[in-house]
Amino acid sequence: MAHPSQLGLQDAASPVMEELLHFHDHALMIVLLISTLVLYIIVSMVSTKLTNKYILDSQEIEIVWTILPAVILILIALPSLRILYLMDEINDPHLTIKAMGHQWYWSYEYTDYEDLGFDSYMVPTQDLVPGQFRLLETDHRMVVPMESPIRVLVSAEDVLHSWAVPALGVKMDAVPGRLNQTAFIVSRPGVFYGQCSEICGANHSFMPIVVEAVPLVHFENWSSLMLEDA
Amino acid sequence: MSLQKPIMRGLLAKRLRFHLPIAFALSLIAAAAFKYGVTEPRKQAYADFYKQYDAMKEFNGMKEAGIFESVRPSGE
Repeated sequence: MAHPSQLGLQDAASPVMEELLHFHDHALMIVLLISTLVLYIIVSMVSTKLTNKYILDSQEIEIVWTILPAVILILIALPSLRILYLMDEINDPHLTIKAMGHQWYWSYEYTDYEDLGFDSYMVPTQDLVPGQFRLLETDHRMVVPMESPIRVLVSAEDVLHSWAVPALGVKMDAVPGRLNQTAFIVSRPGVFYGQCSEICGANHSFMPIVVEAVPLVHFENWSSLMLEDA
Repeated sequence: MSLQKPIMRGLLAKRLRFHLPIAFALSLIAAAAFKYGVTEPRKQAYADFYKQYDAMKEFNGMKEAGIFESVRPSGE
């Protein structure tokens, strides 16, 4: 989850998010390059004693400031497209989970083997125990096996929502009447938080997502227990 | 006795010929500083983290700390 005074992205917990993190650094480096150049030029234009500062035409500079931005754009586009195609590779998921958005909670369905489904409501602030995170905890978490490819089918029952978990590099719109697919692999065990990312009414900020990644054997025990409780 | 005629043309071009290379050099230095100060250390940090990473050990530590909902600490 995010920590106080955080400036950058959350630590990556999936291979795709690691790639996105490095790409973000690359893009930020280019932004810094251009910003430094422009800042220096602005300061130099503002601090000159020359009164006639305006070149009327110059073929050379026109060529330079056309070609150079095109080159910079290519340097941004190539890694970006690489990650885009990486995310779309055939991934042969071990598990498919349906995440349905409602006003104002998520529900998860694990229907590969049995019929397991449950709702996931935010824990109200007054019900939190010490150590829990305000506006992020839910009563039931989406438990997944770690180091396994997971497919999530995202949809909604009423209005637009969006299922997002920043640490896993996942965000997918939940559109009523439509099934959107996303996939991820959780690289390490842990608990990862997200929040609804499409305005959906009064409690849009109060329908978080919690993904819990555990070893497969514990995931199987959990799903058996959940089926018994249902 | 006559004074030398002052330079009256090409003043901006002269200024640009002086300042633009400095501007480009500074921006490349800033980009290189970011790359070797932030980007590469971050890549190395992720590589180092996963090189020695023991998922089951970390999982057991988190489990005993009571972080998970699906699996409780051994005492419970």
